[in-house]
Amino acid sequence: MVRGVPRWLKALTWVFVALTLVFVLGPLIVVAGVSVSESQFIAFPPAGFSLRWFGAIFESNAYVGALVTSLQLALLVTVTATVIGAGAAITLHRRRLPGTGILAGLFLSPLILPSIIFAIGLLMLWSASVGPVSLPVLWIGHTVIALPYVIRTTLAVLADSDPFLEEAARTMGASRWQRIRHVVLPQCAPGLAAGAFFAFNISFDEAVVALFLRTPDLVTLPIQIYNQLEFSPDPTVAAVSTLMMGLTILLIAVIDRFLGIQRFVGT
Amino acid sequence: MRDRIEDIALAGPGILLLALAFVLPLVEMLRLSIVGADGGVTAEHFVRFLSDPYYLGVVWRTIYLSLLITIICAAVGFPLAYVMARVSPQMRLWLIVLIILPLMTSVVVRTFGWMVVLGRGGLIPFSLWKLGFVGRNFTLMHTEAAIVIGMVQVLLPFTALSILGVVMKIDRRLEEAARTMGASFLATLRSVVLPLAMPGILAGSLLAFTLSVSSFVTPSLLGGVRLPVVASSIYDAATKTLEWNFAAAQSVILLIGVLLALTPYIRLSGRRHG
Repeated sequence: MVRGVPRWLKALTWVFVALTLVFVLGPLIVVAGVSVSESQFIAFPPAGFSLRWFGAIFESNAYVGALVTSLQLALLVTVTATVIGAGAAITLHRRRLPGTGILAGLFLSPLILPSIIFAIGLLMLWSASVGPVSLPVLWIGHTVIALPYVIRTTLAVLADSDPFLEEAARTMGASRWQRIRHVVLPQCAPGLAAGAFFAFNISFDEAVVALFLRTPDLVTLPIQIYNQLEFSPDPTVAAVSTLMMGLTILLIAVIDRFLGIQRFVGT
Repeated sequence: MRDRIEDIALAGPGILLLALAFVLPLVEMLRLSIVGADGGVTAEHFVRFLSDPYYLGVVWRTIYLSLLITIICAAVGFPLAYVMARVSPQMRLWLIVLIILPLMTSVVVRTFGWMVVLGRGGLIPFSLWKLGFVGRNFTLMHTEAAIVIGMVQVLLPFTALSILGVVMKIDRRLEEAARTMGASFLATLRSVVLPLAMPGILAGSLLAFTLSVSSFVTPSLLGGVRLPVVASSIYDAATKTLEWNFAAAQSVILLIGVLLALTPYIRLSGRRHG
């Protein structure tokens, strides 16, 4: 802090920061609290302590089914978004193609186009040209949404990489494939890893595209939660939500290891 | 030349994916919005939406709630970002982690938290009742206040982090110079930091606004069916009444609104990166 700031202002600042943190973290803490309550009603502060609602998740076919769907989907999306994003990021980083700026805009545009507009377009196009909605369309949709994150994290590490390494490999006679395989991809690795975990998190948490594309056989975990919230929420919803938050915390820790959490700033 | 082929081959799958699964869906949406029941070109879906007081009410609610949400996010996000920029790196890391945690949590989970807090007997209504501010135990659910509270929580981390990116780039010596020349801390904040951070605040706000006008999950769960916003109106037309052309027309109107807000955003952020 700048020296000579009035003491009351400093105190006020920290009160403000504390209140803001309570506000943004409060709902998450409440959900975690409800999940360990003994009561069969949703209540906060929790009454007693019990882990039975976590057990109840795995006795519910609807939740287990949704969990399996979500995990399948998130893993598929992680693979495709990372592979496709790696190639796109390398090309964008090299800036050798004419119109690289426009290409970069295209690749990052799913980030700023509201997903509801994308979701409805995808639903209409798929129904008109392919047929009934099934897992592949959700896979494609989530890959489009996750792709910009992989590209951004990979571009971030490439920006710090040594551009002459590939040149050196070339002069020493490495083929194109060898240069990509042994020089460029290892340089991308931390960004790709962070992007992959991002992609997993996005697909696992995404609710809008999944909601538009839901069918009785295609319900992801966030949509199962949404369905419950629309009708009759019970503490099982809180337990599932708490598991999802735990996974998010784990993913943030992993992304921080690969890329450094400071890179989130300014996005 | 072979370099070019290599680059195209690397980016090819991505270009193909976006062309088929991102651009084409938008084109299909545009097409459906102007197709009538007889298959010919028509503006009837747009006319229906824009001439019905019910839908205009929905649009108006969406816009003023989003403006309110955006202003709150910017007003809280700027001081938060400034504090984050000026504390020690260790402290900043912690603050960033605490802000990113809700940002990366599913919006469904966060909204559920608010349903518990705002519902009948929830923390906020219950405390207000016990403290004597209101006469009875009531619910804040299905009110515009609930939508604003929930949406601010969703978008604040996002706004604060995008403003932080700009504040971090402000040269601290400018502030020190102002202080040395006798400006008070608040005067420095107002006349040095705020003007320099303004492009970032505006860019963050514009993005928050576009996310707010198009958000669906939080307004529909916290606002309920009696307080529809544009996104829930699109959702109903697409999945409940199955009027796809009408849903497409509403999406086009939303898209136009979003693009109007994004044009200055792209200009602002382009200047920042270039």
